[in-house]
Amino acid sequence: MPLVTRNIEPRHVCRQALPNTIRSELECVTNISLANIIRQLGSLSKYAEDLFGELFVQAGAFAIRVNTLGERVDRLQVKVTQLDPKEEEVSLQAITQKKAFHSNLIQDQQLFCRPSLPQPVQETYLTCNPPPPLNNLSQYRDDDKDALKFYTDPSYFFDLWKEKMLQDTKDIMKEKRKHRKEKKDNQNLRTLNPRKIKTRKDEWERRKMGEEFVVPKNDMGESLEGLNGSIGSGEGCYSPDGLDQSTGSYGLDPGSPLPHPTQDDFLPPPPPDMGYHDGQYGAPTQKRTSLLSPTHPPPAPPMPCSTPTGTRPNLSPPPAPPPPPPSTGFGVPPPPPPSGFDSSPPAPPPITNSAYPSPPAPPPPLSQASLSPPPPPSLPQGGGAPPPPPPPPPPGPPPPCGPPPPGPPPPSFSIGAPPPLKSTQAPSEAPPDAHSDLLSAIRQGFNLRKVEEQKEQEKKDNYGNDVAAILSRRIAVECSDSEDDSSELDDDDWSE
Amino acid sequence: MSGQDDPVQREIHQDWANREYIEVITSSIKKIADFLNSFDMSCRSRLATLNEKLTALERRIEYIEARHYVYVFLYPKVTKGETLT
Repeated sequence: MPLVTRNIEPRHVCRQALPNTIRSELECVTNISLANIIRQLGSLSKYAEDLFGELFVQAGAFAIRVNTLGERVDRLQVKVTQLDPKEEEVSLQAITQKKAFHSNLIQDQQLFCRPSLPQPVQETYLTCNPPPPLNNLSQYRDDDKDALKFYTDPSYFFDLWKEKMLQDTKDIMKEKRKHRKEKKDNQNLRTLNPRKIKTRKDEWERRKMGEEFVVPKNDMGESLEGLNGSIGSGEGCYSPDGLDQSTGSYGLDPGSPLPHPTQDDFLPPPPPDMGYHDGQYGAPTQKRTSLLSPTHPPPAPPMPCSTPTGTRPNLSPPPAPPPPPPSTGFGVPPPPPPSGFDSSPPAPPPITNSAYPSPPAPPPPLSQASLSPPPPPSLPQGGGAPPPPPPPPPPGPPPPCGPPPPGPPPPSFSIGAPPPLKSTQAPSEAPPDAHSDLLSAIRQGFNLRKVEEQKEQEKKDNYGNDVAAILSRRIAVECSDSEDDSSELDDDDWSE
Repeated sequence: MSGQDDPVQREIHQDWANREYIEVITSSIKKIADFLNSFDMSCRSRLATLNEKLTALERRIEYIEARHYVYVFLYPKVTKGETLT
């Protein structure tokens, strides 16, 4: 539904109720129309000023950029023409210490958040009913959460996505460490270095005749196992790209995070079984053409079917809950639904009716917290209370793991929090002075836990809402992870 | 009868004249609004192309600065040798 940015106020010039006590009605209508025209001119001038103001601001920013660019060009010109004949003091250390040129692409992010709303739309939005002032109740909560966030939370989806990304980066780094340990254990048994050089020459020689004729190395060793292995790896080669295309077809904007987890599912299997499988991941495109050569039978159909379904559990639910996200999309902007809900229940769609009786809006999305969340740039904005940029994260378990119905959990949170405190305090008081070491250790442990929690909170606050940084960090970790794995597995393959 | 109708007729005539006047004014207001919208759109598109050109230029300048820096620092012995000899 397109939203009108600027609405000229008295929409209908003549449609106004006439007072009954007037004789010359025609004149009255004329005068009323003329007055409305003047009001329309007033609102028109206001919007025109707003319009030109926005354009002026943009043009001003561009003017500044052009000026700085001009200055840089002048400086460069001076440098290039005048510095050649001069002698420059140089130290080799300066050359090596300076970091290499790295062009940084500034990505636009947080485009459709509340602060970037244009002024007229913001004014239109402010004429709506604000959400109820539930924040007055937050002081009575035992856990440090905003009470209004249970009713409507504009930053809910972004926080969900951010948590998921950070969690994924941690998981990937843990996996990396595990695999590095495994590889080190395996590599300690073999001597790699001298063999690497020999086998590369073999590889180049085999490629000499043309890449289509490259027969994979596996076949030369084992006949049946090699066939099965190459077929399996052929399907293994097929499925990541097939999955990439299928995940791309889901039309999610941060499509890049999704294909990577599917590739990860192939890389982690242990090296002895999949050594020759994963060795082909280093150059899947080349190997695929070789596998399509007539020497191998076509891959069995059941295999690609099983692997995609096996590795796409987290993608199958998305088609199921399109109703609930739009319901939260309806539920999150509070102004229209409450008025609709109050006036006539049939008026709002039945989905919101089902969403509202369950306590606040977050529970339906929380119940599908295991899904990939909708892309954060297209945030539905709701709630009159503007949340502080990093909203205060709840201590303890992250929100997706938080219990789905928030009615029972706040008491469980509050009950859960004091018992650990009491349990640590009770043992600290119980042991007599003879066990002073134990006492002090327990107290230190308790203090350490507090500090850890504070550190976690600080970390979360420091991450901020930088979409690009979070995404880039995660993708970097994934790419380095896959590169490390594939390069190490390639070495294993060629060392055989 | 004409005497009876005259004031009414006059009123109706006057009303029609007023309405025409009002209609002229409202249609001019609509034209102004249309003009403002189209001006806004064209300005934004031009500013967007300007923005693209500016970013492209900025990136080129960054690259040239970096390259020049490397050149000046990495190959100074060439210039030094030339000046000395």
